[in-house]
Amino acid sequence: MRDMTPASTFTRRSLTLVAGGAAFALALTGCAGSGGDSSSSGDAIIVGTTDKVTTLDPAGSYDNGSFAVMNQVFPFLMNTPYGSPDVEPDIAESAEFTSPTEYTVKLKEGLTFANGNELTSSDVKFSFDRDLAIADPNGPSSLLYNLDSVETPDDLTVVFKLKSPDDQVFPQILSSPAGPIVDEDVFSADSITSDADIVEGKAFAGQYSIDSYDFNNLISYVPFDGYKGVLPAAESPVQAKYYADSSNLKLDVQEGNIDVAFRSLSATDVDDLSGNDKVKVYDGPGGEIRYITFNFNTQPFGATTADADVAKATAVRQAVADLIDRDEIAEQVYKGTYTPLYSFVPAGLTGATEVLKETYGDGNGGPSADKAKATLEAAGVTGPVELNLQYSPDHYGPSSGDEYALIKDQLESSGLFTVNLQSTEWVQYAKDRTADLYPAYQLGWFPDYSDADNYLTPFFLTENFLGNHYDNKEVNDLILKQASTPDAAERQSIIEEIQAKEAVDLSTVPYLQGAQVAVAGTDVDGVTLDASFKFRYAPLTKG
Amino acid sequence: MTSDVIASVPPVKNSLLGRMPVVKQLRQSVGLQRGMLIAGLSITGLFVLVAVFAPLIAPYGFAQLRDAQGSFGAQQPPSAAHIMGTTVGGYDVFSRVIWGAQTAVLVIVLAVVFSIVAGILLGLVSGYIGGWLDRVLVVIGDAIYAFPSLLLAIVLSIVISGGQSSLWGGILAAALSITVVFIPQYYRVIRAETIRIKAEPYVESAKMLGASTSRIMFRHVLRNATRTLPIIFTLNASEAVLTLAGLGFLGFGIEPSAAAEWGYDLNKALSDVTSGIWWTALYPGLAIVLSVLGITLVGESLNDLADPRLRGRKRVKAKAGAVSLTAVDQTLPSDVEIREENA
Amino acid sequence: MTTSLLPTDAPSVVAPKPKSAGGGLGRYLLIRFLLIFPTIFILVTLVFLLMRTIGDPITAAQGGRLTAEQLQERIHAAGYDRPVLVQYFEYLGQVFTGNFGNTISDNRPVTEVLLTYGGATLELAFYALIVAFIVGIPLGMLAASLRDRVPDAVLRIFAILCYATPVFFAGLLLKLVFSVWLQWLPVAGRASTRTELSMQTLPNKTGIYLIDAIMLGNSTAIGDVLSHAVLPGIALGLLTAGVFLRLVRTNVIGTLGTDYVDAARSRGVSEFRLVRKHAYKPALIPIITVIGLQIALLLGGAVLTETTFEWKGLGFQLAAYLAARDFVAVQGIVALLAVFVAVTNFVVDVIAALIDPRVRY
Repeated sequence: MRDMTPASTFTRRSLTLVAGGAAFALALTGCAGSGGDSSSSGDAIIVGTTDKVTTLDPAGSYDNGSFAVMNQVFPFLMNTPYGSPDVEPDIAESAEFTSPTEYTVKLKEGLTFANGNELTSSDVKFSFDRDLAIADPNGPSSLLYNLDSVETPDDLTVVFKLKSPDDQVFPQILSSPAGPIVDEDVFSADSITSDADIVEGKAFAGQYSIDSYDFNNLISYVPFDGYKGVLPAAESPVQAKYYADSSNLKLDVQEGNIDVAFRSLSATDVDDLSGNDKVKVYDGPGGEIRYITFNFNTQPFGATTADADVAKATAVRQAVADLIDRDEIAEQVYKGTYTPLYSFVPAGLTGATEVLKETYGDGNGGPSADKAKATLEAAGVTGPVELNLQYSPDHYGPSSGDEYALIKDQLESSGLFTVNLQSTEWVQYAKDRTADLYPAYQLGWFPDYSDADNYLTPFFLTENFLGNHYDNKEVNDLILKQASTPDAAERQSIIEEIQAKEAVDLSTVPYLQGAQVAVAGTDVDGVTLDASFKFRYAPLTKG
Repeated sequence: MTSDVIASVPPVKNSLLGRMPVVKQLRQSVGLQRGMLIAGLSITGLFVLVAVFAPLIAPYGFAQLRDAQGSFGAQQPPSAAHIMGTTVGGYDVFSRVIWGAQTAVLVIVLAVVFSIVAGILLGLVSGYIGGWLDRVLVVIGDAIYAFPSLLLAIVLSIVISGGQSSLWGGILAAALSITVVFIPQYYRVIRAETIRIKAEPYVESAKMLGASTSRIMFRHVLRNATRTLPIIFTLNASEAVLTLAGLGFLGFGIEPSAAAEWGYDLNKALSDVTSGIWWTALYPGLAIVLSVLGITLVGESLNDLADPRLRGRKRVKAKAGAVSLTAVDQTLPSDVEIREENA
Repeated sequence: MTTSLLPTDAPSVVAPKPKSAGGGLGRYLLIRFLLIFPTIFILVTLVFLLMRTIGDPITAAQGGRLTAEQLQERIHAAGYDRPVLVQYFEYLGQVFTGNFGNTISDNRPVTEVLLTYGGATLELAFYALIVAFIVGIPLGMLAASLRDRVPDAVLRIFAILCYATPVFFAGLLLKLVFSVWLQWLPVAGRASTRTELSMQTLPNKTGIYLIDAIMLGNSTAIGDVLSHAVLPGIALGLLTAGVFLRLVRTNVIGTLGTDYVDAARSRGVSEFRLVRKHAYKPALIPIITVIGLQIALLLGGAVLTETTFEWKGLGFQLAAYLAARDFVAVQGIVALLAVFVAVTNFVVDVIAALIDPRVRY
């Protein structure tokens, strides 16, 4: 159906939108939605989503739903322009390292918030200081791990003092959930500010300002003409409707009750809508990945098991990588809304490779039972390996059950594995996974910022969030090295090297990459799904 | 006991409903009432038969994704190989509907046994002993009763199984959470009945004759109080099916490779229906509706027959007994809660 | 007689001794009223303890991103690792001072959550009850007057089907027929965006859309709100209607057997007229008590209907907060439900006691 191979859809400055088998490309080079001015006086565009907002205050939320709103209404110092995965100064004139531990940002002149307050360096300092001061349990303050302090020599200059030098990731962090700039006259310095106060105070300075706010039900956005950042001005007012059930979202977009549906329609819905003349289905690269994590202590032949054997344990992970049929999962379970993933860094990001494709399976991305058998035999593993595999039934979407039933089936039909599949409710799951209870388990990842680093640092450092006892000093050092390598080409080659080394260790076996999918009425233009992984309402127009 | 009556009852019923005085009621019934009872018994009997012989009836395993001809494929329309098509996950719909009966019966049996044992014990003790114990138990029962039961079931399914959804973990979680929700109902009925019977002259006289308290309770009170149980039993059973489906709908079902469960399948099939794929939702949906219908028909008929005012008119005068009032009075409000499970 | 329904069981706690009927209505009412408090207290305690055993909100929200140490740090900072008893007494202290706090997962005052979603649920319950009355009571009377004939059997099977069909299945079918195929009614939600936006501008909006739409004075808005109410009202209402139908039928048949109806029958009054004129009113008494209970249950329990039709009410919200392990929100909502159910039970018992003195023993 939709031939969305990552390689074809993903180029740096253009983006491929594929609809219902008829592919067409729309080049977006900074002037999205040409001729949209005439329609801005028309009706508001209604966007539907099943995402949830937790709070509008950037210091108090660290989730996709809330970040999606923040991206419309708050400015960033650094941001990704349409069609690109890399960051550029947003409301800043310039941003650069003025010394290894000093990142200096110069703001544009005459910036204001929608309430008329001036946006100065003091607001910027305020935004980051409060994030660290509040350190809300649900907040993103952990992303500011490298920020020591913020200084403001004058109204337009902000100097970020960093702990470790030459942090190449820091500019990306400024575009992440920790990066929105807020109004110091409206927000509280030491506690989370309520949504009502934020909306009433009109503390917005992004492409949009919020006009009317009914929590998790309806948000009405109006274009904010004081925004002077890297992104073009918003075209028309937008109303965002929040759904609880994706089948209602599907019916409403199908019936034309809403103009755009974004996140998350089921694969069946998308497949059905792609055959519908009244709507268009848009695909874009997605930053979401799925992978199986192995616990190096408790997996078969792991370090704390009775028959511990490093070579055998590695062989087991490699055999799993040999046997997984990514295409079958992507097609049968996700109908192309997810695509096979052959590395740790998803396709489309600078530095991504397809190292697992050549290394495992039949060498072309397909599975190979013979190869798996040979790998296991070479390591001296005899008889079927018993593997306890865990997944969360709903945290990573309702199709996880089908996904893992298929993985179980793929592993078992080779005769090399006996899989005990079990699902556990999310909160228990999140506790158990780091308590060494799961030998092998499902996880997913949605990036904080669109850089390869965000797919390596959290996972493969010795101190990682997986807590799976993976420890490779070489990989660890390389990851730290790439983060402070200013030269882009050199950094990219290190990132590639990390992936190659990790492909041997297989601390995780990545297998799927989520595509961003939006469905819009045929009269809607400007749907922009790019490697920033941020869905912006601003380019949307309705003709 | 005429032989033709017995012949018309599915034989399996005796094993499941062994303790129920169903045969007697069947003899009592006339006309449409007998028709409803027989229809209910037939559907229920079929349901149990399917559950018992699921391994023989189902062409594939509930977690089977491929056979010698290769993978089944997802959402395939009904064909000779898959008479009800395949699901979004690539399972054979017919096989999962059949195996689902087994899961449902297991949950029903466990839920009913647990609730009956706990509810009756508490009700008897509370009603017979009375005093502070009784008051405290009633207040606790009321409190549980005030909590939205489906949500209570969710919380308990997390507490009981640690959120795991293996076959027995899932079945036990569903059964026990249904149990906790239903204990207050059995408890209320048994307690009220116990209080009523406690005042009867023959219990008083047994006491005078020096019978021990426990002896009186288990001999006299229990024997009389359990007369209303078959009716609650059927209500409880149908609610168990619906609660299981509700749990499945809200994402607390049983993992599909561990067991087949109708509610889970129906939930997964919701988006199919809006895309014109009707076969994945229709059959598990019908299975739920039919099994609940069958069990409830039995319950309704038993309820009618236990009450002289509701029994067929020709027999009204025949047997107006002490059981009657309690039977009607207490089953009806239970209906109220059936609804709520499903809301 | 048929008045000793389930809710009237409770009074027997108060005066289990059958011979002490002389206690008087006043005393009974007082004791019955005082019983409201332990009920609420037990429920709140139960929920508090249960919630502490099933995980914390921080793991629920960030368990897929942070390391075990980071999680532990945040849990410690929030104080969720303190002894349960300490947290419990702190919570009780807050509740007694009327401070329900802010929700953990989305930082909103619990009172605001209760008002917003309580209004929505109340509105849905209202529509459902209307449907239940319109469908359940006349059909129940019809079934009673035609008892043991084919229409009676059909109606009773209809009543059983009403609750044997899971509401998410029935709701989906209703949507497919009336929204997609016939295009008569909206798919889901409580109002169209245009109406919701204009209601947002109301200075003192109630959260009950029908009232808000009337305050707007805009007939299009009222029509819009009502058209959104039809399908959820029917889906939930039919479930309740099934209960009412059976209840009315049983009770009407019961009163048909009483002496004074027999007397009328012997005067040659037709069976249908008997139902309408003589048996109907006394049969309604138990129904009134059930309705009270029904409202209480509808307020807490319509999770599936609310989810199916995007009707963002208390039940739906409670399920979401439960998934997020938001202690504060769940405790707040359950406390409100407990108060509501306990008070409703009390009122029902009082009505029952006033109508039928036997209830008091």
